[in-house]
Amino acid sequence: MTSRKSSANKSNERLTSNQKIAGSSNGIQAWLETTSGIVAVLLTVQFLTGILLAFYYVPSVDHAYTTVEFVQKVVSSGAWIRSLHHYGSQWLAFFLFLHVVRLFWNEAYVDRNKLWIASLLLLGLVMAGGGTGYSLPWDARAFFSTRIAEGLVSGLPFVGRLGRLWLLGGNEISTLTLSRFFALHVLVIPGLIAGVIIWRRLTFGNVERNAIAAWLVALALALWSWKFNAPLGPSTTTVTADYLPRPGAQFVWLYQSLKYVPGGLGSIAGLVLPGVALIVLLSLRWLRRARLIGTVILGSGALLIVGMTTASYVSDYKNPNVRKQLAIQDAYSRLSPFAPSAVRSSQTDNTNTDAAAPVLYIKWCANCHGRNGEGGQQGQLRFPPLTGVSTKPRRTVDDIAGLLKDPQAYGLQPPMRSFADKLTEPEMREIAEWVHRLR
Amino acid sequence: MRDSDQPTRRSFLLLAPLGVFVSIAGAAFRFLRPRISAATDRWLDVAPLTELSGSQPVGRKVVAEHIAGWAITTEEHNVFVLPAKGNQVVSAVCPHEGCEVLWDGQRNQFSCPCHESYFGAGGARISGPAPRGLDPLPSRVQDGKLQVQYGLPQEPGTRA
Repeated sequence: MTSRKSSANKSNERLTSNQKIAGSSNGIQAWLETTSGIVAVLLTVQFLTGILLAFYYVPSVDHAYTTVEFVQKVVSSGAWIRSLHHYGSQWLAFFLFLHVVRLFWNEAYVDRNKLWIASLLLLGLVMAGGGTGYSLPWDARAFFSTRIAEGLVSGLPFVGRLGRLWLLGGNEISTLTLSRFFALHVLVIPGLIAGVIIWRRLTFGNVERNAIAAWLVALALALWSWKFNAPLGPSTTTVTADYLPRPGAQFVWLYQSLKYVPGGLGSIAGLVLPGVALIVLLSLRWLRRARLIGTVILGSGALLIVGMTTASYVSDYKNPNVRKQLAIQDAYSRLSPFAPSAVRSSQTDNTNTDAAAPVLYIKWCANCHGRNGEGGQQGQLRFPPLTGVSTKPRRTVDDIAGLLKDPQAYGLQPPMRSFADKLTEPEMREIAEWVHRLR
Repeated sequence: MRDSDQPTRRSFLLLAPLGVFVSIAGAAFRFLRPRISAATDRWLDVAPLTELSGSQPVGRKVVAEHIAGWAITTEEHNVFVLPAKGNQVVSAVCPHEGCEVLWDGQRNQFSCPCHESYFGAGGARISGPAPRGLDPLPSRVQDGKLQVQYGLPQEPGTRA
């Protein structure tokens, strides 16, 4: 093991004193050593902006799009915060990949195996965070992103059918799916990331150089996010057939690869191969010819990512129709004004009764309060509607059953009368339960 | 590369990434600032004037729209038209703790079912813990219809 310590740079991260580094690593090599600082700062940006977005986001198919659009178009600094989170995740994936390549180059898996494993796990978790995150705005892009995730999981050998059901929370994409992706994205994955960081703290070789590099990257991200708004497609209900779904930058390689892979093998290319590659890299420490295996995996991975990503952007750029449509989609998120969405109120929709009135209600109550609890009037006497009564104070099912027995105890005046001698307890409860549901 | 020899420069460099977080913190303050929703100034129909005969207060419902950030909710609110005060419209919400008062025709007074505040036919407080009479709402007559504005409470216990 010690004989393989050929590179003087690889132990840099352990050193707190800088004298050795100052002598041994200069130039580009030295700046490549700063990925730890960049990753740490970008991760912190993700955590901070993620927490801020959670202050407005609602993980339900009814409101997710509206709340994201509200953040983007109405809330002060909202577009910037969301763009930081959006582009930050892509930059984080990029720099984590660089970080892993750099650690491999320094043979970290030999003498700093914990750091190596932690960095690989972080890369996997950050990709998973991105994959679940793209579903959350519930716009057209989110819809396709969720569809692809469904397709990839369902195509897995042996576990595909069950995996799909577990991923979706049912047999179709629904609000349950969104809730699952939300819980994974904001609780499970950040929790695991925090766990990995606590398990093996990211250490910084040359602290100053790390600080400068991290600051430069963070500044560039801040300016980029300032200049370019994170995309927000049309909502899933208003999407048109000519919409062109394009994934986030860190998944473009996968999107493009799937074009070349025959249908059934998509899951192999998209999930199984990356999974196997990750497992092999994680166990590199215990493998023979580790250097060769790692070089092949990371090299072909990097080639695939760069090649596919370039191919995708080039083919989009070359096709004028596609370019035009993508520009329209890009402008869409900025041009359409925000419109608040109606939230169903519990008190207004009088006709919505989910079941017919009980016979006893019709017999004893409907004459005055109406067949659907809408209230009524007979000469001078007005009878209050019972719709929405459950939202008033002292009107639980128990209370309503109680006031049927003793109206005066609940502040009600004649002509409301007691039904203690007409109805049994269970009958009063039956009526009370129905009245309580009136909206 | 002799950064380590210069403690001032070193600590300055360490502060540089911090600047990004400070600007995020500044944005966070703006981002999280509470949104005061403007009271809706729409006029809501209470009743045609022809239905408002007699001397007893008449209970009605108005449906008001409330905008809270991204959400519009429509809520029904109970109001009373007071013929004793020239068809002034008051909110049925008790100014004490916000229960809804009921009209007691026999005793010719409003009573609050929660804490037994009582109000006269003109909305003035008679007895009980309520700090004042029933809160009047801005009203007008348009095309033979009585209309009110039902704003959001600006502070707990106040209306419109």
